[in-house]
Amino acid sequence: MNGYAGKILKLDLTGRKVSTIPTSKYEQWMGGHGMGSAIFFDLVKDKTIDGFHPGNVITMMTSPLSGTLVPGASARTEVQGIGVQSYPIGWFTRSNFGGRFSPMLKFAGWDGVVVSGKADKPVWIDIRDDQVRIRDCAPLSLWGKETWDCQETIWQHVVGDGKYGDWNSPAGEEGGKTTQRPAVVAIGPAGENQSRLACLIHDASNAAGQGGFGAVWGAKNLKAISVIGTGHVEVNDPRALMAARLWQKKNYAFDLAHLKESGPSFRFQSPPVPVALWTKGRPKIDQRPQACMGCHSGCRARYKDKLGNEASCFASVFYHEAKTLDIQRSASDLINRHGLNAVEMTFGIVYLRILQQSGQLKTGKIPDCPLDFREYGSKEFVEQFVKMIAYGNDGKGNESQFGKDISGGFVRAAEKWGRRKQDLDSGILAFPYWGIPVHKEPRAQVYWGYGTLLGDRDINEHDFDWIKHDASSAKSLGREPSLPAQEVVKIITDKMVPFQGDLEMLDFSENNIYSEHMAKMVSWHRYYTRFWKQSMLFCDTRWPDFVNIHAPGKIGTTGVAEPKYIKAVTGKDFSFLDGVNLGRKIWNLDHAIWTLQGRHRDMVHFVDNIYEKRPLFPADVPNAYMPGKENGKWDYYGYSQRTIDRDKFDEFKTRFYRLQDWDTATGYPTRAALEALGLGYVADELEAQGKLGVRATEAKQSSPRK
Amino acid sequence: MNESSNQADQSDRSGISRRHFVKVTGTIVLVAGTGCADRYADLAAAYGIPPSDGYLLVDTKKCQGCASCMLACSLVHEGVESQSLSRIQIIQNSFESFPDDLTIEQCRQCVDPACVKECPTDALKANPKYGNVRMVETEKCIGCGACYDACPYTPSRPVLAADKNYQGQTKSRKCDLCANTPYHWDKAGGGPDGKQACVEVCPVGAIKFTEEIPRQKGDDGYKVDLRDRNWGRLGYPTR
Repeated sequence: MNGYAGKILKLDLTGRKVSTIPTSKYEQWMGGHGMGSAIFFDLVKDKTIDGFHPGNVITMMTSPLSGTLVPGASARTEVQGIGVQSYPIGWFTRSNFGGRFSPMLKFAGWDGVVVSGKADKPVWIDIRDDQVRIRDCAPLSLWGKETWDCQETIWQHVVGDGKYGDWNSPAGEEGGKTTQRPAVVAIGPAGENQSRLACLIHDASNAAGQGGFGAVWGAKNLKAISVIGTGHVEVNDPRALMAARLWQKKNYAFDLAHLKESGPSFRFQSPPVPVALWTKGRPKIDQRPQACMGCHSGCRARYKDKLGNEASCFASVFYHEAKTLDIQRSASDLINRHGLNAVEMTFGIVYLRILQQSGQLKTGKIPDCPLDFREYGSKEFVEQFVKMIAYGNDGKGNESQFGKDISGGFVRAAEKWGRRKQDLDSGILAFPYWGIPVHKEPRAQVYWGYGTLLGDRDINEHDFDWIKHDASSAKSLGREPSLPAQEVVKIITDKMVPFQGDLEMLDFSENNIYSEHMAKMVSWHRYYTRFWKQSMLFCDTRWPDFVNIHAPGKIGTTGVAEPKYIKAVTGKDFSFLDGVNLGRKIWNLDHAIWTLQGRHRDMVHFVDNIYEKRPLFPADVPNAYMPGKENGKWDYYGYSQRTIDRDKFDEFKTRFYRLQDWDTATGYPTRAALEALGLGYVADELEAQGKLGVRATEAKQSSPRK
Repeated sequence: MNESSNQADQSDRSGISRRHFVKVTGTIVLVAGTGCADRYADLAAAYGIPPSDGYLLVDTKKCQGCASCMLACSLVHEGVESQSLSRIQIIQNSFESFPDDLTIEQCRQCVDPACVKECPTDALKANPKYGNVRMVETEKCIGCGACYDACPYTPSRPVLAADKNYQGQTKSRKCDLCANTPYHWDKAGGGPDGKQACVEVCPVGAIKFTEEIPRQKGDDGYKVDLRDRNWGRLGYPTR
């Protein structure tokens, strides 16, 4: 099985049993998310259980490309299971993280790890090639440690009397040798205390941030998984893999001798510049770029004073009103050490700040807040805030109802305080869907909002986001965008098989955002990401390569490069369209799971704020310029200052469901849709639970049931 | 006529190749930096085992830690992806401060190669077919680990691992500048006259091939500054 290790590790924490699943059983899903969803569906009989329930199963999957030279596709690990972050239902959800865990798992001989049950006391998993042990945390005093300390303690334990940098034999003298440190993914105090903001941290700042998986691990008494591998990944055609990598490097990646850009690294073509979004900018001290394994362009950095090592995106945005750059960088470290979701922390602190500034923090049912906002911006303030959420107390070791409330997530805290609806509707609690914080402005980049609502989490898929960044920064600087809107739209939509050529898919004008075209766009995005990004694990920051300034005609490699790499590594002839189609199948399986959990069309709506008010503060950029066709003319137009039309969005849902061949009245999947994708067994389960939809053409009514 | 072809032309006329000239002058530079007694010993060693025609230089402050060089190394030599089979090793620590967070350890193709001297079966030797690069002849290797133990550097540059082509017997491998690469992507192949996988794949140009013998004493000859003005434009140190 070229590209695959051949077996998946299955851990039953309740019985402390270690077993294996042959990868071949799930190979039809190719890897990552597809495999994870299929395994979850098979193993979790009752999909309605809560995320904290011992029956919840967490999958951590690699792809056949993990651990290989495929640029920006070697290092990510897909995490899935029932989450505890979303509201009112903790959806079956996903997150993924980079670094070197996924390659190391492959080198150890595993395609993934499946965790079920709950240990009777805190444990960690020690994987050394094919040797797997479920170990108690107590001998190493791991429980209670911050994520970094936990990892370093495990490193030291695994190397024994050895020293990293020299050749060690972690699986015993008869085993293979390595100079490397184990790849460890761990929870911090936040996970141990089951904060719904808790995440998984690997190395300094690789986080599976969304979903509250840290809390799920905490509920399972699982502190960490450590893996060290001395083996290898078989490759079908090594020469072709190397040639493809060099082909892309030469023709489509940055050229240090002839730099065309030097800003933060967001795309395939970008040079290695950290996406460090600290308010006062990137520190002007000695540093290096830092990349995940196999990546051609690092998007993070390590610094001379090691503050904020590897922090990027939201991990750097957090505590944006810190008094100094160093305090904000320390705050990045704090959330990584405690194992907290940077996005919810960012919008959570904004919420509390607004409540405090408007004099509402000491009103109604809100318990006493231990924070002294006169110190807002200081290191002491943020340390207390982080610890309040991580420990569910006052941040100083004392009981606090306020700390306990926000440790359970900000929407749930507002619910307890009797102000959830009012604060969501006013926009000060900027969590417009599923109790999840805003990311990109959903009124402008509607596909982002629609995708999140129709799915399970903030999609955090930047495939089209650079268009807005490019156009918006050009407008603010008074220069021309990289390419005219129509040219960008043409290049991209040509690649959006099987809907290729429909330019209107990227028309974000008011007239088009509820249309059939937009329904296709959102569908394509769901299918594309489910397979290519979340199953084959192409990195969101590096792929797709749609428009490329180095390429002839500025046409990037997406559609051509991905199948080339699959062929080189696995030997399979698997086209880009094959991937999009498999993505549709995976999307349908996920949607069936949500349906079994209780998803209904009527639940799928934004908070009133999105329909009734313009943005209270910019979620992303002051005004998002997007391609649009206004009065017959393609250009970039600012679309942030609009609202979503409630009725028209409802009509959009009908169009979207019809396109999926789902029941337009309920949103339930239909047997026809599922069987066409080879998911008849899923239809059987839905039918048994009374959740199977009726095909739109079979339903007599044409308007959705309210 | 461009510069390189002009050089080649002059070399041909003088009857001495540029590579030979560099090798000799490099050796002089090498011994000039050592004590008098060592000078003769080194010279004897240098001429007893002819110096390699090529060397890898690295910039540990430029490296982004992606380990693509390791993946490329194992790929072209063994046809698989592996860190443990890579002849070049990147070792890093996320939590450390720059520049102590990372090191690159490549084979130095030593002028006075302890690994060659200690090999009991002559499996490891300077191979004249490939510019005297220090290479393992796998057929002759008995996996004794003498080269591994003899290497004065950490980690040992010879890599000991089971070889699937020899029924899992332990065999030594070491950097051969991609001379013996069954899976080389380029028809011309590697070695001192060809292309080295790690050099070609490194995204940031932190690995360089040179024909000049690096200073042997200490690390300065092998761990060099490959950063230029454009590296500085990206916000990184160039000194």
